[in-house]
Amino acid sequence: MRLIELQARMRQTLLTGGSPDPELLALLADPPPQRERRLAVYRNNVRHALLSVLEAAFPVVRELIGAECFTAVALTFVARRPPRAPVLYAYGGELADFLADFQSLAELPWLADVARLEWARNEALFAADREPLQPKRLAAVPAAELPGLRLTLHPSARLLESAWPIHSIWDAHQPGGGALEAVDLGRAETALIWRQGGAVRQRAPGPGEAALLAAFALECPLAEAAETAAARDPNLDLSAVLARLLADGVLAQST
Amino acid sequence: MNHARDRATVPPQAGIGLRHPHLPAFLAARQPVAWLEIHSENYLASGGPRLAALERLRGDYPLSGHGVGLSLGSAEGLDPAHLARLRALYDRLAPELVSEHLAWSTAPDGTFLADLLPLPYTDEALDTVAANVGRAQEALGRRLLVENPSTYLRFREADWDEAGFLSELVRRAGCGLLLDVNNLYVSAANGGDDPLASLERLPLAAVGEIHIAGHARVATPVGELLIDDHGSTVAEPVWTLLRAVLARTGPRPVLVEWDTDIPELPVLLAEAARAELHLREMDDAAD
Repeated sequence: MRLIELQARMRQTLLTGGSPDPELLALLADPPPQRERRLAVYRNNVRHALLSVLEAAFPVVRELIGAECFTAVALTFVARRPPRAPVLYAYGGELADFLADFQSLAELPWLADVARLEWARNEALFAADREPLQPKRLAAVPAAELPGLRLTLHPSARLLESAWPIHSIWDAHQPGGGALEAVDLGRAETALIWRQGGAVRQRAPGPGEAALLAAFALECPLAEAAETAAARDPNLDLSAVLARLLADGVLAQST
Repeated sequence: MNHARDRATVPPQAGIGLRHPHLPAFLAARQPVAWLEIHSENYLASGGPRLAALERLRGDYPLSGHGVGLSLGSAEGLDPAHLARLRALYDRLAPELVSEHLAWSTAPDGTFLADLLPLPYTDEALDTVAANVGRAQEALGRRLLVENPSTYLRFREADWDEAGFLSELVRRAGCGLLLDVNNLYVSAANGGDDPLASLERLPLAAVGEIHIAGHARVATPVGELLIDDHGSTVAEPVWTLLRAVLARTGPRPVLVEWDTDIPELPVLLAEAARAELHLREMDDAAD
């Protein structure tokens, strides 16, 4: 058998849980009773390695559906959407969409968005480094130039809008976090995720601040961003919100 | 980037594989270990704290970049995008040693299988691997050390045994050998061979680095298999085999690997200290 065909056949056998390809088993030199067991070592290695990557990236999803269910779902995902590149920290971005389409999980409608949130945390950890915008830099901008100033989000920052209280659900699964029973499942939340000082941080900005951040993400001029935010929340204290975002290292200056 | 130290080689001393749980200890204080090895694929991100930590440590320790994803055995050739990612990382870190495995992990459709999969030792596979090693050395601008794999099965069709395959690969591609003593032991046990006999036939003059690690013994209905899980201390027969290797190669950089159930750093440092002891024995014997 040509090497390319052998490798294509092994790929099929290793990613799925069924009985191995008989033509592949026939290629092995080991005694026939041992062949399946020996091939199974590789199948276990492959599936376990990829399952471990997903377990590490999606701990809250795993707690929400239980370890056993997570293993079953994750291994199905591994078989259908295996990695396309040898860079495992980038594997799992498609899991949220996969969960959304998984019929038996439909009773947890927020699950896919919690997975998106966990993936955003993963992305924030590995995103490019960049010096956040310093408050004194902003203070030095002449008043006349402020309305036209274009700010943007730090490369690690992600803004995730959901119809579900994803930040609160996530927080309830953290040590010292809130109680899951106390989470109002009828409330929509936007989650802000970013990296500061090497650690991933997360909170749920209100509607006005979320609108402001969404405008910054589009690099709208400051005056326009403030107007959009005020339209969503007339009581928004713009200078306090900006001061906090700057102190937290969420913002960068548009280049 | 420029690094304070100017050095061309990893010393013939004991090193350990740098793992994420140990980064804080390394950042807090200089650890008693001569050099470090990374899994290159763990540091390909654009930024973040792990890469920053490695950049800091780089100035203090000689470094080996150990790739686990290039898939030298792929019939479809190497992924140019991955070669470019590795090149950028190696240009940034300037590791003294760079290694990959005699294995494949990327299927013909581009699927990455996240394991080091076995090759049939055929002439066709040798042509493939030799061409891929040549291409990788050119694209990375560095000589590669190629590691002997741990294997759990063998293919019926074979023009070479593993030692013969590696010797011919070294000769054709001009690469070096990363001799993993645990893999040598595990593969010999799983294949019913004598590891010492295999050792005598390996291209030992090309050994640029040595690996040791723990393995697991797993009972199956069809007999015992040794699994190269890097999840425990180095087994006594592997230490014995290491001494036999060093007696033939002379002192070489020896790396302790530990990847599952990663222990506290002192456990790993104690393993490295024992390896260092065996290296010193070689020096004493030579005096």
